[in-house]
Amino acid sequence: MTPDGPIKLVSQLLDLPLLDSEGKYCGIVDDVELRGRPGQDVQLRALIVGPSAYKGRLPGWCMWLVKKVAGARETRVSMEDVRTISSVVHLKRPGPELGLNKSENAARRWLPNKGAL
Amino acid sequence: MNPLELTLGIMTAVGGFVDISELVFAAKAGSKFGYALIWVFALATLGIIIFSEMSGRVAAVAKQPVFNLMRHRLGLKLGLLTLAASIVSNLITCAAEIGGVSLILNYLTGAPYVLMAIGMTAVFVTSIWVLPFQWIERVYGLLGLFMIVFAAALVAIRPPWNQIGGGFVPQVPAGLTNKELLTFGYFTVAIISAVMFPYEVYFYSSGGIEEGWGPKDMLTNRLTSVLGMALGSLLAISILASSAQLFGPVNVDPEIPGSAALEAAIPFGKWGLILALLGMLFAVAGAAVETCMANAYSISQFFGWVWGRHKKPWEAPRFTITWIILFLLALAIVLTGVDVMMLVEFAVLFSILVLPLTYLPLLVLAGDKTYMREYANGPIAKVLGWLYFAIITGAAIAAVPLFVLTSGGNG
Repeated sequence: MTPDGPIKLVSQLLDLPLLDSEGKYCGIVDDVELRGRPGQDVQLRALIVGPSAYKGRLPGWCMWLVKKVAGARETRVSMEDVRTISSVVHLKRPGPELGLNKSENAARRWLPNKGAL
Repeated sequence: MNPLELTLGIMTAVGGFVDISELVFAAKAGSKFGYALIWVFALATLGIIIFSEMSGRVAAVAKQPVFNLMRHRLGLKLGLLTLAASIVSNLITCAAEIGGVSLILNYLTGAPYVLMAIGMTAVFVTSIWVLPFQWIERVYGLLGLFMIVFAAALVAIRPPWNQIGGGFVPQVPAGLTNKELLTFGYFTVAIISAVMFPYEVYFYSSGGIEEGWGPKDMLTNRLTSVLGMALGSLLAISILASSAQLFGPVNVDPEIPGSAALEAAIPFGKWGLILALLGMLFAVAGAAVETCMANAYSISQFFGWVWGRHKKPWEAPRFTITWIILFLLALAIVLTGVDVMMLVEFAVLFSILVLPLTYLPLLVLAGDKTYMREYANGPIAKVLGWLYFAIITGAAIAAVPLFVLTSGGNG
C-alpha cells in the first residue's frame, strides 16, 4: 500500500510499528494528523509518534502513569517521509533524521560499549 | 535447510521445553492421580505446537512478533492491559525459575540459596550480554538435554506401559470425591498453563525474527515446533509416569523440585541423581533466560523500540536496560524469601489468565490473507486454532475459582 492511496486508518495504520530506511524500529504510529473539513475528503498529513500522543486514547489516570514512566515526547512524521504501509510502516529516511530514536540514544549513554561477542 | 542447524534447533527445543512449573506439576500430578493426567500434557502440547508454528510462520512471512500484532489488533487500551498482565506473569515466572535454579544448586553444592540466587542472576546477565543470540538459546537448550535421564529412568523401572498408554485417553478417574474432582480440575488447568506458557511463544517468534526467518524457513519452523515440543513433552510425561509408579503408591507428595530428581536416583544411583539435577538446572536456567528475554521483547515491541539480541547490547539500549532491570526485579522477588512453590503456583495462575489475549491476535493475523498470502492458516489450522482458543478461554475462566477452592491444588 502506498501512502497516497486510500487507507483504513484504524485497521491499516494505527498502532503499526515504524521501520526507518536502515531497517531499525523507531516507534509506533500512536496517532495521526488529518486535514479536511466537513463535506470534503479527509487527507492524512502526518503520523504522530510518542507517548504524549496516547492522549485521548487512554483514561486520564493512565496518561499520568504513562508520562511518569515513558515521558511526554511526541514526534511528527510527515506522510511525505513514508515509503510504504504493510504490516509495518516503512520510512524513506533514517529515524534520527526525522527526530525519532532520541530516547534510544539517551539510553545508550548508560551502557558500556564492550564485552559482547 | 541445513540438516545440522535443523537438528540443533530441534534438540534445543527439546532441552528447553521443561521448566520449573512443568517439573513440579508433572511430579505432583503423577503422585496424586497416577497416569490419569497424561492426556492433559498431550492435549496442551498439541496446543503449544499449533501456536508456536503459527507464531513462527507469522514471524517468517509478516515479519511481525506477537506484541506488535497484539497492539495493532487489540488496540492501545486492551493491548496495554495485556502487556501489563503479561509482564506480571513473566516476571513471577522468571522469579520462580531463578528460585528453582538456586534450589537445585543448593542441592548440588550445599551453598546458601540466597547466594546462589544472586550468583545465578549475575551469570544470566553476563551470558546474555556476552553471547550471541543463537549461543544463548543453544547453550541452555542443549545442556538441558541431560533431562533425557528421566526418560531412561522410566524405561529402567519397567512401568506398566499399557497403563501409561491408557493415560493418553481423555479421562477423569472414577471414584473421586468432590474435593478430589476439583483438585483434578485444578491440575488440568495448571498443566495446560504450564505447557502453554505465553513466554514460549513470545520468545519463539521473536527468535525467528532475530534469526531472519523467511518463507524458505517454513519447514524448519514446522519441524522444530512439532518435533521439539513433542519430544520435550515426552520428558515431562516421563517425570509424571515415574512419579505415578514410584511416589503415588507410597503416598509421597513431591512438593519440592528436588523430589523429581529422585526418580532418576532410584534406578541409576548417584550418577542418575547428578544427571537429573544437572538437566533440571540447565532446563530451568534456560527458562529463566527465556522468560526475562520474552518480557523485554514484549515491552520493546509494544512501544516500537529497537530490540533483539542479534544486535550488540548497546545497539538496542532500551531493550538491554529493560532485560537487566527485569532480572533485578525477579531477583528482588526471590530475595524477599517467598517460597518457590508459591511463585510457581502464581506463575501458572497468571499465565493462564493472559493466554487467551496472547493467542487471539496471533490467530487472527495468521488467518489474514492480506498479510500472510498463501501462508495463511488453512482449514485444519483454523479449526484447531479456534478449538484451542476455546479450551484456553475455558481454562482461564475456571482457573481462579479452582485455585481458591483447592488452595492451589493442595486440597
